Amino acid sequence: MSIFSAQKAILTLVILFSFINLKGQSTFTVSGFVKDGATGEFLPGANVYLDETMQGTNTNAYGFFSLTAKGGKYTLKSSYIGFTDFQQAIDLSKDIRINVTITSKAIESKGVEIIEKKVEGNLSSTDMGRVEVSMETIKKLPAFFGEVDLVKIVQLLPGVKNAGEGNTGLYVRGGGPDQNLVLLDEAVVYNAAHLLGFFSVFNSDAVKTVDLHKGGMPTNYGGRLASVLDISMKEGNNQRFNVNGGIGLIASRLTIQGPIKKDTSSFIISARRTYIDALAGPFVRESSPTKGSGYYFYDLNTKFNYRISDKDRIFVSGYFGRDVFTFKSKDSGFNIRIPWGNATASARWNHLFSNKLFLNTSFIFSDYNFQSNVEQTAFKFSVFSGIRDYNLKSDFTWYAKPQHQIKFGLNYIYHRFTPNNVSGEIGGEAFDLGPPERLYAHEAALYLSDDYDVTDKLRIHAGLRATYFQHIGPFTRYIKNEFGQKVDSVVYKRGEGIKAYPNIEPRLLVRYTLNKKSSLKASFTQNYQYIHITSFANQSLPTDLWFPSTSLVKPQFGTQYSLGYYRNFKDNTWETSVEAYYKTMKNQIEYKDGTLPSNSVNDNLDYFLTFGKGKAYGIEFFVKKVFGKTSGWIGYTWSKTLRTFPELNGGKEFFARYDRRHDLSVVVTHELNKKWTFGAVFVYASGNLLWLPTSVYYFEGKPIINYGERNNFRLPAYHRLDLSATWTGRQDKKFKSSWNFSIYNVYSRLNPFFIYIQTTGSPQQGNLKSEARKVSLFPIIPSVTYNFNF
Amino acid sequence: MKKLVIFTTILCLTVVLIHSSCERVIDIKLSNDGNLLVVEGTIELGEFPRVLVTRNQGFFENFPSDLQGFVDAFVIKDAIVTVNDGNQTFNLTYTELPFYPFYFYTSTEFAGEIGKNYTLTVNADNKSVSAVTSIKPPVPIDSLYFGLNVFDVNEDSLGFIYMEFKDPDTIGNAYRIYAKKKMEPFYFPVAGTNFSDQFINGRNFSIFTGQSDKPFAAQDTFIPQDVFYKIGDTVDIRLASIDYTTYNFFNTLEAAAGGNGNPFSAPTVVKSNIKGGLGVWAGLSYSTKTVIAKLP
Repeated sequence: MSIFSAQKAILTLVILFSFINLKGQSTFTVSGFVKDGATGEFLPGANVYLDETMQGTNTNAYGFFSLTAKGGKYTLKSSYIGFTDFQQAIDLSKDIRINVTITSKAIESKGVEIIEKKVEGNLSSTDMGRVEVSMETIKKLPAFFGEVDLVKIVQLLPGVKNAGEGNTGLYVRGGGPDQNLVLLDEAVVYNAAHLLGFFSVFNSDAVKTVDLHKGGMPTNYGGRLASVLDISMKEGNNQRFNVNGGIGLIASRLTIQGPIKKDTSSFIISARRTYIDALAGPFVRESSPTKGSGYYFYDLNTKFNYRISDKDRIFVSGYFGRDVFTFKSKDSGFNIRIPWGNATASARWNHLFSNKLFLNTSFIFSDYNFQSNVEQTAFKFSVFSGIRDYNLKSDFTWYAKPQHQIKFGLNYIYHRFTPNNVSGEIGGEAFDLGPPERLYAHEAALYLSDDYDVTDKLRIHAGLRATYFQHIGPFTRYIKNEFGQKVDSVVYKRGEGIKAYPNIEPRLLVRYTLNKKSSLKASFTQNYQYIHITSFANQSLPTDLWFPSTSLVKPQFGTQYSLGYYRNFKDNTWETSVEAYYKTMKNQIEYKDGTLPSNSVNDNLDYFLTFGKGKAYGIEFFVKKVFGKTSGWIGYTWSKTLRTFPELNGGKEFFARYDRRHDLSVVVTHELNKKWTFGAVFVYASGNLLWLPTSVYYFEGKPIINYGERNNFRLPAYHRLDLSATWTGRQDKKFKSSWNFSIYNVYSRLNPFFIYIQTTGSPQQGNLKSEARKVSLFPIIPSVTYNFNF
Repeated sequence: MKKLVIFTTILCLTVVLIHSSCERVIDIKLSNDGNLLVVEGTIELGEFPRVLVTRNQGFFENFPSDLQGFVDAFVIKDAIVTVNDGNQTFNLTYTELPFYPFYFYTSTEFAGEIGKNYTLTVNADNKSVSAVTSIKPPVPIDSLYFGLNVFDVNEDSLGFIYMEFKDPDTIGNAYRIYAKKKMEPFYFPVAGTNFSDQFINGRNFSIFTGQSDKPFAAQDTFIPQDVFYKIGDTVDIRLASIDYTTYNFFNTLEAAAGGNGNPFSAPTVVKSNIKGGLGVWAGLSYSTKTVIAKLP
């Protein structure tokens, strides 16, 4: 962005904040936390308001709220989906603290039908393209191989695309899979997929909330162009011990939680592991005497929290997950072991300076690494790559005035990147592959935003995010001649600055209430992204490498405009919306034509990258039934995603791999009676694009494939219907159980997983033939899972 | 209830184990990218140039069912081919031989020399393409010896020829190995032996090679006798010195031949040095050595 527009944005903010101190009246503040009475867990995003004035707010990520109003008598009300309402008369003649305790309807509603308070948060907030998914909903939907997967459910929302089976990559509004910030308790999860993407790394038993921002990214988030998927882990029941778990076809889960000291501290440990190699079966040759081969994954979530006082609370949480693929062939002495996975840890401290100023400070560690070890008699070969972050972050929420909620904070990340590194030897002779290439960088951000109620009808979220990225030493930059041969090198010392990128990112979101049932929203956001995935293949793979911005790789820069109309029907039972977006992306990254994975070994990988721009636009329709025996949603997206790279495709614009014209998802759950709940999911999506060969020629008597224009072939459409039935068994205070029966791909549609080309025969024998073969993975798959809780 | 669960479990496992993947031949219609000229040209140290000119064909079009039909479809016999050596332009004339490369253009007026830049121009099918190359000095082979196939512990007669040589200290050397058995008339390249000095600069290095790739060999058969050398074989090995551009071409060419549209590998674009066309115009020099395969 230009200096001029940055100045303008700053000026706007200054004017905005100058209102804060204008109105001086005798106002008082009611503040506190909203928590679940049964477990003691704090509830983020709960609605808290004064009934008389309808002045309200939502609790923050830690369940805290603060409301300031003129002195007087009010009724404080609070509501949260799936929970009974809370109300209490308050006398606001001084600042007061109230901790709101609400309980799950599932527990209270025995025989008594409770009339729900219809919240209309979707109309009143400035959030655009934001969706919260309730874990209760997720658990009632059909499960794939019996494993409930929240990323798979997120992919059913409009504007979010999946790439078919074998890919948990999220493609949000024309963005690539690296443009999503996936957070687990604030820690970045760099690879959210298990088993080439058939499962995500999130164990649904340990997850409390799932929050997706796909457009109009609020100022407190940054670092990615397309979206934020913010996942919070449960804190652990601080009232009583609780064990729950599930036994499924390929995996089992177990979660233990309970108080360490009642009301003060609690813990949760949740583990999951696959135990059948059925999924690896097709990848292992049956004829091989391959004892010892197999595949499994596991993950472990733990969290601990301690309330030091009413003002201070600490949380420590961790995640560790690994996928391990092994292949052994005794006869040939051939041995492969490929482990990969994420590890994250976060320590957080909440502090209340006053009833209006809330601070959370976090120290976060994130790590993702991949390794592939191949061994055969005299031959050894090993590839490793990864990324590691140390992250320090402070976020303030200041409930400055009734009309202003101000957020500000800072964030510093120390990155360490390990792109493709190879070591190997043959017959004891090691290859000289040079020292492993590692890259280091500082990333920092400073932000300020204001959620400001300008009038009763107009609310804005205005913010500025200043970001800074610096690639630092140690680093060796090779100097190359015109043929790409290394002729010299420059060595940077540890910590020495190599290239810095300071930037300003303005964010503006506006909501205008038309009437009680409808509102209009618009947003304009700009984001910089300093770290990137470089990928060779058509699929998202665990081998995809994260790479920083360097002197050659400029940060990605995205601008998004979106406009939406929201309308609710029947007392907010139905929520509908239409959102349109237009997005431009600069400095998009691809490998240069003809680059091979081995090129980057003992070289600077960024020499093999080429840069271009992208644009994406589309319109999303969303109809959601929030309450009632039958609930669910229909989402439909029409979109286009294009890329232009001067050095690719002859400089001509081409459709991105995951360009998708039509995308439809239907999600329905129906509660037939206390025992049975049914769920159905239907998806239809235009096929992905593939880059297929267009011609063949002969060189040295061998057929050689020539590729034509990029992404020149669209796969057949993807569609699928899944059904589920949940049978609720014993439900007493001591023991609860349920069975989930799911059928994946009910009509056994053979959706394309990939296409490959097979050429057989020879021209001399006159039997030369090339044919395309479509490989589909999953036909109809029934599964069953038993869940328990005591 | 219990019975239902057991039944479902068994059903699922059966379905998973039997049907986990499903493969079908599908029909794909893609437009051809237009006829492109393909150049397979070499200028070797002390040898006359040889340039084979062909064209490409739509990928899913039917291939000719015999060799003659194949030649008619691919080979261009009426191209105008010239080479400029920096001073003089030579016209190459069309020639046929009863053996590979069968149909090519050559000139007996000049032979390859080190230090010259050779510019090739080909006009055919109303198109014109060009390329430049030069010849690198040969690098001597220090020794050759035979070793059994280490990838099969039970093997007692088939194996590789190991070659030892010293890479010069200068950066930017690249190699390709050509081979033939004594009774075979011609050298052909060995698959997977295209390498540069990126990891071995200035070092003594040993590399193993199998038999050469014969042109027009069937694509889908693996016959160990055609891949490995046998004890008793007399083998001629040529270490060809090539430039980086040529190395990049062969490197990507081999990756493209192996990729075949597999989604887990990248669609490989072959890095050609032919402006406006496909293939390569390569300057080469050789050093040659012979070995009889025997156990030490």
